[in-house]
Amino acid sequence: MTPREPLVSNTKCDCGHQNPVGTVLCEACGKPQDEKELGAEGNLEMRYDGVARRSQRIRQGVIDRIWNFFSSVKIAVYLIVITLLGSMLGTIFPQESTFLNIDASTYYKEMYGTAGNIYYRLGLSHTYESWWFITLLVMIGASLVICSLDRVLPLYKALTRQKVRKHRQFLTRQKVVLVSPLEADPEAWVAALSEPLKKRGYRVKTEGSALLAEKHRFSRWGPYVIHIGLIIFLLAVLARGLPGLNMDQHLAFPQGEAARIPETTYYLKNEQFTVEFYSDEEMPEEFRGKKVLPKLYETQAVLYECTADCTDPAREPVLAEVARHDIRVNSPLSYKGLKAYQFDYDLTPVLRSVQPELVNSLTGEAYGKFKLDMRNPERTFQTGPYTLSLKEKYMDFGLNEEGRPVSKSPYPNAPAFLFLITGPGLPGEGQQYFYFPKQVDKEQFQQQAINERLGGSGRFLELEVQDMSDVDFAASTSYLNIRIDRAMPFVWTGAGIVMLGLVLGFYWQHRRIWLRVEDRELVLGGHTNKNWFGFRREIAAVLNKVDLIVDEKSLDNGGGLA
Amino acid sequence: MSLLDFSSDVFIIAFFLYSGAFMLFTIAIMGRRWSGRKPEEHTARWGKAAFIASSLGLLCHLAYFITRWMGSGHIPVSNMYEFMTFLSMMIMVAFTVIFAIYRTIILGVFAVPVSIIVMAYAAVFPQEVQPLIPSLKSIYLNIHVTLAALGESFFAVGFAAGLMYLLRTVNFDSTARSDRKQQRLVEFTLFSIIVIIGFLGSVFAFRGAGYESVFVRSNVTIDSSGQGDSTIEKVSYKMPPIVAPYQSETEVFQPFLGITKPLFEAPSWMNGVNAGRKFNTVIWSLLSGLILYTMLRLIVRRLLGKAIHPVLDGIDENDLDEITYRAIAIGFPIFTLGALIFAMIWAQIAWGRFWGWDPKEVWALVTWLFYSAYLHLRLARGWQGRRSAWLAVLGFLVVMFTLIGVNLVIAGLHSYAGTD
Repeated sequence: MTPREPLVSNTKCDCGHQNPVGTVLCEACGKPQDEKELGAEGNLEMRYDGVARRSQRIRQGVIDRIWNFFSSVKIAVYLIVITLLGSMLGTIFPQESTFLNIDASTYYKEMYGTAGNIYYRLGLSHTYESWWFITLLVMIGASLVICSLDRVLPLYKALTRQKVRKHRQFLTRQKVVLVSPLEADPEAWVAALSEPLKKRGYRVKTEGSALLAEKHRFSRWGPYVIHIGLIIFLLAVLARGLPGLNMDQHLAFPQGEAARIPETTYYLKNEQFTVEFYSDEEMPEEFRGKKVLPKLYETQAVLYECTADCTDPAREPVLAEVARHDIRVNSPLSYKGLKAYQFDYDLTPVLRSVQPELVNSLTGEAYGKFKLDMRNPERTFQTGPYTLSLKEKYMDFGLNEEGRPVSKSPYPNAPAFLFLITGPGLPGEGQQYFYFPKQVDKEQFQQQAINERLGGSGRFLELEVQDMSDVDFAASTSYLNIRIDRAMPFVWTGAGIVMLGLVLGFYWQHRRIWLRVEDRELVLGGHTNKNWFGFRREIAAVLNKVDLIVDEKSLDNGGGLA
Repeated sequence: MSLLDFSSDVFIIAFFLYSGAFMLFTIAIMGRRWSGRKPEEHTARWGKAAFIASSLGLLCHLAYFITRWMGSGHIPVSNMYEFMTFLSMMIMVAFTVIFAIYRTIILGVFAVPVSIIVMAYAAVFPQEVQPLIPSLKSIYLNIHVTLAALGESFFAVGFAAGLMYLLRTVNFDSTARSDRKQQRLVEFTLFSIIVIIGFLGSVFAFRGAGYESVFVRSNVTIDSSGQGDSTIEKVSYKMPPIVAPYQSETEVFQPFLGITKPLFEAPSWMNGVNAGRKFNTVIWSLLSGLILYTMLRLIVRRLLGKAIHPVLDGIDENDLDEITYRAIAIGFPIFTLGALIFAMIWAQIAWGRFWGWDPKEVWALVTWLFYSAYLHLRLARGWQGRRSAWLAVLGFLVVMFTLIGVNLVIAGLHSYAGTD
C-alpha cells in the first residue's frame, strides 16, 4: 500500500507541472515524485501512468471510505475468491431448485443423513438464492463500477495528455530499456526511425530529438469494456426478478385442443405430439436390445391470440392464429417474446368427451345420447323426458381426509360428474346420480353403491356408453414450458460487450516507446501492458532497420513480464 | 474399410506420433550434453524433428476427427470418449500455437505428455458411436463444446509451462524451510500426475487381462402407501475388488493373487453400488501410483523434482513465466465465449433458461472466477513468477475437476457424458 501522504505537501515537479496529491510519476515529464522513489532503482510503477486516483486523494467521509473500499483490487480479488468458494459449496448436494416437488426440510436428511441435514440447515440447499450470495454478487457489481471509475478517468487523462519528452529516469527505469552511444545527427536519426515505426502501426510524435511512438491504445480500454458488460449483465439478471418481466410456467397440452395460457391472451394447441426412439439398426451393436435412446420429441403447435370474448365464461373465445411451429428440444416456438419449450410428455390417453345414453334399466328403453365434455361440460342436458343438470364436476376424483369428494388435480385422470335428474317416475326434487365415464373408475370408486345410497333401491336410470366410437380421447399430452423473459436482450448485450472487451484487452497490446538522443547517447524506454517478449522483439527489429543491432534479450531491464 | 475403422486407426497412429514427438523433444533437451555436440545445434535439429512429428500427429488426429464426424453423422464431441479425444487434440493445437510464438523446444517435453495422458484417458471410455439424444441435436453442440475445450487446452499449456517454471526455479539443494515447502509441493504435484498414470496403467492392464467380478445389491424401498418395492442393482468390477459396495453380495469373484473375497466393504455414506466401484478404482490408482513413484524414486535416488530440475538448466525462467501467462491470456476469452456465453445461449434455447446453477455450470463459473482472480492478481497486484505459476498449476486442477470430477462425483444435466 502507498504510505499516507502528509496533509500538505509540495506537489510541483521540477519541470514546472503542478501534480495532484498522490501522483507517483509527474503527469508531464514522468519524473518520479517521491523522494525515496527518485533515489531508488528498479522498475517504475507504471499503473495508470502513475496518476493519482480518486481513492488515493480523498480520505474523509463515509462515501469516500466506501469508495476506497470498493476501489481496491485486493478487495475485488477477495470477493471473487469468496464467490468462487461459495459457488463450490452449492454443488456438494443437489440444490432444492432441481426438484419440482420435495419437502426440503425432510428430503436432505433422508437422502444424505446428518451431512444432508446440516447442509439444509446452513441454507446451502439454496445457496444461489441466499442473502449472502446475492450480497456477494451486488458487492462484485459495486466493485466493478467503482474500480473502473477510479482507474479509467485518470488513465484517460494520462493517455490523452502525453508529453513527448520525458525525464531521463522515467526512461531508464522502464522494463524495456536501451542506453547506447549514438554518433548520428540526433534529429535526423529520430526522423529516420519514424518510418519503420509507422510501418508497424505506431503513431509517432517527435519533438526535436525526442520521440514517442504508440500503438493499440484502445487495448487499454478492454478491461473497462469487460466491466461495463458485466455490470449490464448483472443488472439484467437482477431485473429479471422484477414483476412483469418474467414468466415461467409448465403447462399440459393434451393433443388436439387449444388450451389457454394463464396470465396471457394466448391459446396454444398441440395438434400432434410425436416421440420417436432410435431403431436397433441405428444403435451401436453394444446397445442393441439393452438401451432405449430417444430420437425426437416434437409438438406440432399452433399459437392463437384471443381477439374477443376472452373473459366471458359463457361464450367461446374468438381465436386468431398468430404462429405455428414444430416445437422440439433446441427449437422452441417464439412469438413476440413468448417462448414455448418442449419440456415433458405423457403418452397416457386423456379422456376428452363421452357420449353416454340414458337408459331405463328396467325396461331397456333408451332415451338418446348427449355429449359430455370433460373440461367444459354444458350445465343441463335433455334426453327424452328427462333433464340432467350438472351439480358437481371432479376432474381427478378422490376423497379428502374427511371423506368428502374432491378433485386431486385439474387433469382429467379420473373424471366424475354429479347430476340431478328430473322427469317422470322420479321424486319431485329430482334424483342425484354419480357418473364415472371411465370403466376403471366405475369399479374402483363403486359407482353402483354410491348411486344406490343417493337414490335408494328404486332407481331405474343409468348412463351408459354404448359404443367405443362415442368416446373421444386425446392420444397424448405434451408438457410445455411457457416463458416470457423481457430482460434477455440486456443479458445478451452485456455478454456481447464482455466478449468485445476480452478480445480488445487480450488480443492486442498497448505499446509505447519513448526515446531521447542527447550528448551522443540514445536513451530508449518502452512500456506495454502485456507480451513483453513480442514487444522487445519488435523494438529490436525496428532498431535493426536503422542499422542499430541489438539483441532483443538485452533490452530486458528485469521484471519485464506481465 | 469403413470410415469409422479408418478413423480409429489414424487415432492410434496419432497417439504413437505424439509419443514419438515426446521422445524426440526429450532427446533434443537431454542430449545437449552428449559428447561431441554443439548444444544449440543439437537442440535445434532434434527439436525440429520433434515438432514435425507432433504436427504429423496432429494431422492424423484431425483426420480421425473428420472421418469420425463423417462416419457418425454428427460432430464427435457427444460423449466422454469423444470429448476427451477432442480435448487432447485441442491441447496439441494450443501447444502448436504457443510453440509457434515462442519456439521453446522444452515446452514440448511437458505439454505433449499432457495431451498423451488425456488421449489415454479417453480410451478408458466406451468408443462406439452413439446416436444423439434430442437435447444434443443442436448447432451449439459444435460451438459450445469445441470452444470450451480449446480455451481449456490453453489453460493446459499454461499448466505445463507453470510446472516447468516451478521445476526450473525451486531451489532443490536448499534445506531452508520455505524451499523445503516448495520442494514438497512440487513433488506432490508430480506424484498426482503419476497417480493418474497409475490409474490408466491399472485400467488397461486389467482390461487386457479380461478381469471381471460382479456384485449385486437388493434395495428394498417402502413407498408412502406402505407398499414394499425391491430392486436389484448389479455392478461389474473391472479391477480386483479391494472394497465391495456397501451391503452387497458377491455374484462372481475372479481370484486375483490369491485374494478370493473383497478385503472390506465401502462405508455406508457411499450410496449406490457404483460408489463402491469408483472407490475401488481410486484405491487401485493410488496403489499403482505409489508403486510407480517408489520405483522411480529408487531409480533416481532423490526427489523427482530434483531429478527433473537439471533438464531445465539454462532455460530463461522469465520466458517460462511469460508463456504461462500468455497461454492463459489467449485461453481466457475463448473459454469465456465457449464455456459460458455459448453455454448460456444453448441453455436458453434448449431449456428456456440461460443459467440454472447446474453443477457443471457452476464449475464452469468457478473456473472462470479462478482465472479472473489469477489475471487480477497478476495484472493489478503484480503476482508474477512463483505465485503466478502455482496458480496456473492449481487452475488446471479446477479445469480437470470441472470436466471429469463433476461427472464422476456430482451428477447433473450433463451426466449424459457418464464416466467410468
